[in-house]
Amino acid sequence: MISESALAREFWEMGKSVTCPIYDMHGHMGVWHSIYFPRPEAADMIRTMDECGVRLLVFSHHMALFAPDLGNTLAVEAVRQHPGRLRAYCAVNPNYPERLAADLETFEAHRDVYVGFKFLPDYHRIPLSDRRNKPAWEYANDRGLLVLTHTWGGSPFDGPAIVRDMAELYPRVKLLLGHSFHDDWDAAVALARDYPNVYLELTAVFDDRGPLEKFVAEVGSERLLFGTDLPWFDPHQAVGALLSAAISDEDRHNICHRNAEKLLAPFLGKSVQ
Amino acid sequence: MRFFDCNAFFGLPTHRPLLPVATAEMLLAEMDRAGIERALVWHIAQHDASPQVGNQLLADAIRSQPRLVGCWTVLPNQAHEFPPPKELFQQMRQARIGALRIFPNAHHFLADAVSLGELLAPMVTRRVPLFLSVRRGMDWASLYALLRDFPDLVCVLCDHGCWGEDRRFRPLLERYPNVYIDTAQYLLDGGLESLVADYGAGRLLFGSGFPESYFGGMMLALRHARIPDQAKAVIGAGNLERILAEEEL
Repeated sequence: MISESALAREFWEMGKSVTCPIYDMHGHMGVWHSIYFPRPEAADMIRTMDECGVRLLVFSHHMALFAPDLGNTLAVEAVRQHPGRLRAYCAVNPNYPERLAADLETFEAHRDVYVGFKFLPDYHRIPLSDRRNKPAWEYANDRGLLVLTHTWGGSPFDGPAIVRDMAELYPRVKLLLGHSFHDDWDAAVALARDYPNVYLELTAVFDDRGPLEKFVAEVGSERLLFGTDLPWFDPHQAVGALLSAAISDEDRHNICHRNAEKLLAPFLGKSVQ
Repeated sequence: MRFFDCNAFFGLPTHRPLLPVATAEMLLAEMDRAGIERALVWHIAQHDASPQVGNQLLADAIRSQPRLVGCWTVLPNQAHEFPPPKELFQQMRQARIGALRIFPNAHHFLADAVSLGELLAPMVTRRVPLFLSVRRGMDWASLYALLRDFPDLVCVLCDHGCWGEDRRFRPLLERYPNVYIDTAQYLLDGGLESLVADYGAGRLLFGSGFPESYFGGMMLALRHARIPDQAKAVIGAGNLERILAEEEL
């Protein structure tokens, strides 16, 4: 049954929890070239979310990240079709600053869709600190928006040194470190300790045994966020890892929903139940 | 639901991990906590230090642990570093070793008929399973070449990664009937269901990747996968039990 805890029993028997809903703060949507997805579209993903007890997914569409011709349009459509289950990050591709300018001009008209911005520097091959990203950072900082950025240990585009600069420059941004500098766990701990606006997001971290316990012990579960890259990773796998880790059910509640509920409160109307 | 983990190790790696599992007793304690009934295990020294030394550490550690079956590491034998196959299989039987692993990249050899033919040919005849870890350096081109040379080899591809390898391992499942995939790092949403639909439940083995991954991740994924209970049963334990029962050491 994975471990001895009330949540473990509930998830083992039911696949989800009545008392512990999940807010998945790092998702995607749609097909992508390098992987076969059995369930890439919104309806498939929402069925998975139902089975795993995921109340809300905040995502960036693969096409918004990789097909500048399409931009964020598919994400906007998906959220407006499923306003009770989805919110989006406005994806930023700094290779096309003119698209970012257009997205910023229309951002206010999409406040029912967006909670902030998503950066993917390792893939776009442009550092997070590049001037072409600046308009999005300033926009987010002025309004206290969320920013989810891909981060990876050792990266010249989104590694610890660059992200630290961003946290310092934009203190009103709620900065979510996607993958928590994967493999450089000490750097993730250091940044979260130094900056109260920094949160450690756990996509792909769930496949590693040890970082969860380290983060909870050294940062505290109040700064950790559940994520799966859905439609990449099965949320049940992530939950199973969370239940396996030597942490408390209180920590699991923080990670699955309490922290996200606080972060998302300014952005969610009554549409998310 | 019963779990027979095909992919777990213990022992202290050369480079210290966050949560090492030093002994078979510590591994068993974690298995008890998770609800894992049995495991096919290896010792990390087989990879990090020396196959021969690691194999002996493993044999010593599992001797009094009936829930653990061993998986030794072997090398090409042109330098006579191992006994000949017949004697090796006899030693395996005596030490309760049910499978073999190779780490061609780390141990500086090529996984092909030229290097390993003397061992792999009788392994095919006796249906001795060979475990190959992509995480630990088994590259796909070598895998394809190895299976071209030994199409009937009982072979388990493990730790193939979480970033999308279906296009690499599905052709092997289609072509070679004795190829199996373990679940460690197969985090893909809907992946288990898709594989079962296309190839049947008989080609998947529950593997955790412990202690580098938690037991519970793929346990919960399998428990709630949209596949029949019988499929969950054979993936969780039955397929590995069958594979081990079919070998002739």
